Amino acid sequence: MKRIEDVKLHEAQDLYYPTMCQVTQARQLTEMEKWYELEMPDGQDLGHSPGQFVEVSAFGIGEAPISISSSPSGTGRFELCIRQIGTLTNVLKKYEAGDLIGIRGPFGKGYPIEKFLGKDILIIAGGIGLVPLRSLINYVLDHRRDFGRLIILYGAKTPAELLFKEEIADWTTRDDVEFYMTVDQGAENWTGNIGVITTLIPGLDLNLNATMAAITGPPVMYKFVIMSLKSKQLADDHIYVSLERRMKCGVGKCGHCQINGVYCCQDGPVFNYSAIKPLEEAL
Amino acid sequence: MECFSLLRKDIPALIDHLGVFGQVIAPHRKGDASYSFETVTDSSKVVLDYNRTLLPLKKNFFPPVEKLMDFSLKDLSYTTVEVPLEPKVFFAVHSYEMQSILRLDHSMLSGNVESNYLNRRQKSRFVGISFIPDEFHFSESVGITIEELEGFDLYLNEVEDDFQVYVITKKGRSLIQGFNKLRTTEPEIVAERKFKTKIRYHYNRLPRVFQYAYHADVWAEVASRCVGCGSCNLTCPTCFCFDVNDEVTVTAESGMRERTWDSCMLVTFAQVAGGENFREHTVNRTRHRLYRKFKYITDEEGLPWCVGCGRCTAFCPAGISLPEIVNDLIREDEKARHHQRVLV
Amino acid sequence: MKPQVAFFDFTSCEGCQLNKLNLENDLLDILKHIDIVEFREAMDDKADFYDIAFIEGSISSPSCVERIHDIRRRCTTLVAIGSCAVNGGVNAMKNLHPIDEVRETVYGKDKYLFATLPAMAVSAVVKVDYEVRGCPMTQQDFLKLLISLVLGKEPPKYGSPVCVECKLKENECLYNRGMVCLGPITRAGCDAICPSFGQFCTGCRGLLDNSNLDGMLELMTSHGISLDEAKKRMLLYNSNEVQL
Repeated sequence: MKRIEDVKLHEAQDLYYPTMCQVTQARQLTEMEKWYELEMPDGQDLGHSPGQFVEVSAFGIGEAPISISSSPSGTGRFELCIRQIGTLTNVLKKYEAGDLIGIRGPFGKGYPIEKFLGKDILIIAGGIGLVPLRSLINYVLDHRRDFGRLIILYGAKTPAELLFKEEIADWTTRDDVEFYMTVDQGAENWTGNIGVITTLIPGLDLNLNATMAAITGPPVMYKFVIMSLKSKQLADDHIYVSLERRMKCGVGKCGHCQINGVYCCQDGPVFNYSAIKPLEEAL
Repeated sequence: MECFSLLRKDIPALIDHLGVFGQVIAPHRKGDASYSFETVTDSSKVVLDYNRTLLPLKKNFFPPVEKLMDFSLKDLSYTTVEVPLEPKVFFAVHSYEMQSILRLDHSMLSGNVESNYLNRRQKSRFVGISFIPDEFHFSESVGITIEELEGFDLYLNEVEDDFQVYVITKKGRSLIQGFNKLRTTEPEIVAERKFKTKIRYHYNRLPRVFQYAYHADVWAEVASRCVGCGSCNLTCPTCFCFDVNDEVTVTAESGMRERTWDSCMLVTFAQVAGGENFREHTVNRTRHRLYRKFKYITDEEGLPWCVGCGRCTAFCPAGISLPEIVNDLIREDEKARHHQRVLV
Repeated sequence: MKPQVAFFDFTSCEGCQLNKLNLENDLLDILKHIDIVEFREAMDDKADFYDIAFIEGSISSPSCVERIHDIRRRCTTLVAIGSCAVNGGVNAMKNLHPIDEVRETVYGKDKYLFATLPAMAVSAVVKVDYEVRGCPMTQQDFLKLLISLVLGKEPPKYGSPVCVECKLKENECLYNRGMVCLGPITRAGCDAICPSFGQFCTGCRGLLDNSNLDGMLELMTSHGISLDEAKKRMLLYNSNEVQL
C-alpha cells in the first residue's frame, strides 16, 4: 500500500490541466465525423504511441476521451477524428483551423509495438473503430520493413459512412497492403462486399504463429470477430482489442471506466484478449 | 509509549491548546440526531461520544465539490487553483476513519500523484478517540479494532468516564507540548466494548468467497430492494470516484471546471456518449460496489477496502446492510460447497 | 443578432414565470444574450416569430391545443418550463378520475359549458426541444438552460437523484428524522432545496427513468405510511409519467 510518507511533495502532478493546442486543419469526413489536425504549443510533441487516447476539452462544455488517429510524427502535430454523438463532440464540430482545443494526455496503453515487430498485422475495424486503428496502420506503413503482411478488414454500416476514403483508395492499390472492405447495407453505385465484417474472416489465409490481430469496433462486434478468429485457430494472446469506456479523468482515479477491477484508461484502452478474457464486464 | 490521564472536563482546554498548531476539525452535532466534522469555533461544542458523522473525514482532503480551474471563454485561457498547505488537527477521530484515510492515501497517491489531495494531506495531525460500537459498526470484522492506533499522532482512550492520552508519534508529542493538564499514568485495557454486528468469516477468508460470488443469487435480491439513490457510495469513506463538469456564469464569458463525488450505484455512471451503458442493471452495480470493497483492490493490497464504519448501512433508506450482504454471500457459498461435497 | 425569446402560459399558476422575474441580479446579464419579445407577465409587446418559446403550464382544453400548435409553428426552439408543462404536473391528477366526474366537481350544473381535456404535457401535443423541470422550476436551472442554448451546447440532463445533492451538502437524511421523502428516485437539479430546509421531497422534478418503483413503495411503507399514501405521494407530480 502506498503511504503518504513515501510521497515527496515535488512528485505531485497537476493531472487535470489541459494544454491548449491549435487546430491546424479540419475537414468534415462524413455527416457524423470530422477530422482535425492539431499542433502542440511551443514546439512540444504529444509523444504518443499508436492506440493511446487524449482527453479533449472545450471550456464551458467539458471533456471527452478521443483516440489519437495519427501515427507518432515527432513534429508536434497529431490528428483526431471525432464523431458527433455527445454534448462536447457536437460543439467541437464547429471548430475550424485556428481554433484552440484543450488536450490532456496521451493516456493509457497503446499497442505493444515491440511484440508486433516482424509479425503479420491483421487489422479489423468496425465503423469508427478505424480511427484508433489508423494510428497503428500508419505506424506500420511508416516502418513498413519492420513488419510482415499488413491485412486490413474494414466494415461500415453504409458506403456513406466510410472514413478516410483517400487513404482507403491508397490501401486498395498498394501491393504491400491487403485491404478488404464491406458494408452492412449497400447503396447505389456500391459494387463491393455487403455483409457484416465477420464475413471477411473465413477467406483469410493466415500464418497463425506470425499473425497479430488488432480489433476495434462497436461493443457488439468483438464477440463475433473473436469467435471467427478462434475458428481460424488464432491464439488468444495474438489478439488485441481496444475498448471504449467512459474515461473521464484518464489518470486512473475517477472510476468511470472500470471493467471489473481494471481501469480502462490506465491498463487499456488496448488490451491483450487473453488478459481480459476472464473479466466478465469486458466484452 | 507515553500515557497520560486527562479529565473529561479538560477536553475543551486540550482542543484550545491544539488550536495553537492549526485549525482544529472535530465532530459536532448536526440536525436532530446526526454528526458532522466541522472546524471548531467553540471547543465546548465538540461532541466526543458520537457514533459516526454523516460524511467521512475524507471531505477535508477530497471535498464533495472542488474547483479544478477557472476559465475564460473570451480568450480560452484558464487559471489554476492553488491548494494552500495549512496545518490542521483532526480531533476525536475513530480508528476506522483513520484507516479509511490511509486507504484513500493509496488511492489518490499511487500511480498518478494527485497534487490537490497531497497538498491537503500535508501538515495534518490526527487525534484518535475510542468509541462504543452501535448496531452498524463492524470494523473489527475487517481487521480494525477500536484501539487500532496506526495513523494517529495522539489517541484518547475513554476509561471510566475520563480519558487516557496515548502519545503515538513525535508529532503527537509536540502537539501536547506545554499543555499542563496531563498526568503521567499507565495504559489500561478496556474490555467491555463489543461489536454488535459481525461478518461471520475472518476477513482473510473473504477473498475466496468473493472469488466465487460473481453469479450469486444474493445480488438480485439486494437489487430488488435498492432504489439506486447512491447514498452508500456518497457516504463511504474509501470511495473516491468523481465526475467533472463545467459551470459557466450568466455572462457566458467565464466559468469554472469542478469535480464532484460520484457514485457507481447511479445508473448513468458507466454510460458513454453513444448511449451504451456498461453497467446498466442494479444487479451489476450492486456487485461492483461490493467487489470494489472486497475484491478488486483487496487482491492487490491484501486488505479489505471497507473499514466497517457502517455508514452505507445506517444511511441506506432501504435498510440494505453491507455486512448482511457479505454474510448472505458466505451462506450461499457454504451451501454451494456443501452441494459439491455431496456430488463428489 | 440576439435570439428573440417569448414566454407563454397555459394551465398553470404562472409561478415559474414569476420566478424568472425574480432573477433581479442576473436579469441584465441575461438580456445581453436575448431579446424578450413576448411576456404577458411583464410586458405588452407581441411578435410573429420567436427563436425560443418558453412554455409554462399543461395543455388541458381544445383551445390550448390550438394555441400551442400555433406557437410551435412560429418558433424554432420550444422549451417546456415547470412540471405542468413538462409532464402535466399536479394538474394531471385530474386524469386519475373520469373526466365527467371532474367536470361535475368543478363546474357543477354548468359542466357542459366548459370543454376540457385530460391535463397533458406539452410534449404530448407538439415537439418539445428542451425542458426545465420543477415546481416551480428553479432560477438556477433556468439560467443553466439559457446559457447552454447561448453557448450552443446540450442543456444539462439530470440522471441522478436528489439524494446525491443532499449528500454532497451533508444534509441529515429526512428518513433519519422520521419523514418519508421521494429524494431517492426524484431527478436532481434543484440542489436539494426542500430537504435542505427540512421539507421532504415531493418529486416535483419527476421520477428518474427506470426507477425501482416497487422497491421505493416498499421503502416508503417500511417507514410508516400506507401503500395508498405512498402511491399518492408518487403520483402527486407524476400521474402522467408513472403507472402504479
